[in-house]
Amino acid sequence: MSLDWFEPFTLSTPLAIRAMECLFALSAGIQTLEYLRMRPAMNAQGLWSWAIQRQDIPNALAQKFFDGLFAESIFTLLLWARLAALLSLVLFGANLGNVTFLFVSNLFVLIRWRGAFNGGSDFMTLVVLTGLLISQWVGFFENSELGWRACFWYITIQSMTSYFVSGAVKLLRPEWRNGSAMTIFLNAAIHGPLHAGHALRKPWLSTIGSWTFILWECAAPLALFDTRLAVVFCCIAAIFHFLVFWFFGLNRFFWAWVASFPAIVWCAGQINILAS
Amino acid sequence: MTMYWVIAYFLVLLLALLYKTPIVRGPWLFLLRSFFPNWKFFHAVGYVPHLYARAGKINGDGQLAWSDWLHLYPRRPQSFWHLFHNTPTNLGLAQQNLIDHFWADLNDSPEGFDPRQLVTYKMISHFVDVKLAEAYPECSHKQFELRMLLDNPNQTTHTHVMMTSPAEARL
Repeated sequence: MSLDWFEPFTLSTPLAIRAMECLFALSAGIQTLEYLRMRPAMNAQGLWSWAIQRQDIPNALAQKFFDGLFAESIFTLLLWARLAALLSLVLFGANLGNVTFLFVSNLFVLIRWRGAFNGGSDFMTLVVLTGLLISQWVGFFENSELGWRACFWYITIQSMTSYFVSGAVKLLRPEWRNGSAMTIFLNAAIHGPLHAGHALRKPWLSTIGSWTFILWECAAPLALFDTRLAVVFCCIAAIFHFLVFWFFGLNRFFWAWVASFPAIVWCAGQINILAS
Repeated sequence: MTMYWVIAYFLVLLLALLYKTPIVRGPWLFLLRSFFPNWKFFHAVGYVPHLYARAGKINGDGQLAWSDWLHLYPRRPQSFWHLFHNTPTNLGLAQQNLIDHFWADLNDSPEGFDPRQLVTYKMISHFVDVKLAEAYPECSHKQFELRMLLDNPNQTTHTHVMMTSPAEARL
């Protein structure tokens, strides 16, 4: 791939696959290592004691199954097995075995955290993982090229939807349009409140900041019309997610969305090819 | 042609944002909700649930003497390196998510419902136990409150108590 900004270009499929496999492995690896460190919070003395949480499971047989799976030693083993599967994703690429295992074990981990650990990053992690699963199973029954095509489009549509919906719902709220929502959320954030003299307490600055993010998020679909636009969009998105991490502590959001970027750039390239 | 499909897709999305559909609920749907992503992040400003707890101890007169209310709200310092590993912050965020779910469960409960049956109530009660044991190791009783706080950019403008637990002996 040569980055000539004056000529439209496409991201090659093998490069997009490799980039996504490595970025996803990094994202899911960070999450899994954090889960391993969280084990004290999941034992009988911790907030996330399974003895209480098991009452969420509506079926006695399923409850028994999860009692066994979420026993401390078995769950620890599951997390280490996830790390091994992620390592195989980096070293050998996606295959039916490692991707299916990662998908199923991801579901178990989510159930251990009552369906989601911190919301958005779980959704996007599952989106990329579902894309990988589609690529492998479609590849198994049909052909690999169709599988990866379906994978990239699935991830891109979900990722673009996330930006667009997130921007559009803010546009409909007066407190976002006047900038006050940004200051209120920053004050309530885990790293908050903003100190008295913080620049983002200035209404004019928070209004400009709010409108910048709203317009940028709403314009996300336009990035699909040119690969160069898609690359610029992804660079701005990375800065945006870094700011979200910096102010809200959401490091998982950064990596979960970055893992979807190769798919976005690849799909923009496909639209370029079809249009020319 | 693909371009038109992309445009059509986002027009459908726009319509979906404006058209309200009924909410489908169920215990398995709740546990598998990550399959149905909700991309509406930080969109609405309003009352936010906050958890407060206090510890009690029997005094010389045989009366329960209560500590001040403790605000159990996660606050953590920033660090660039937390981009790669951020366990305490993520646990704090998960704790606040649980309090949000507790509020949602209370909000959805019918009039006269005993919240002590809720899994979220039991988890919060257990959490309060652990936190009070850290702050007041010798306390014998606990009580917690879910308060709803409404903020503007400068301060909390209104607070109301949504639920106060009965005073209970600590486990």
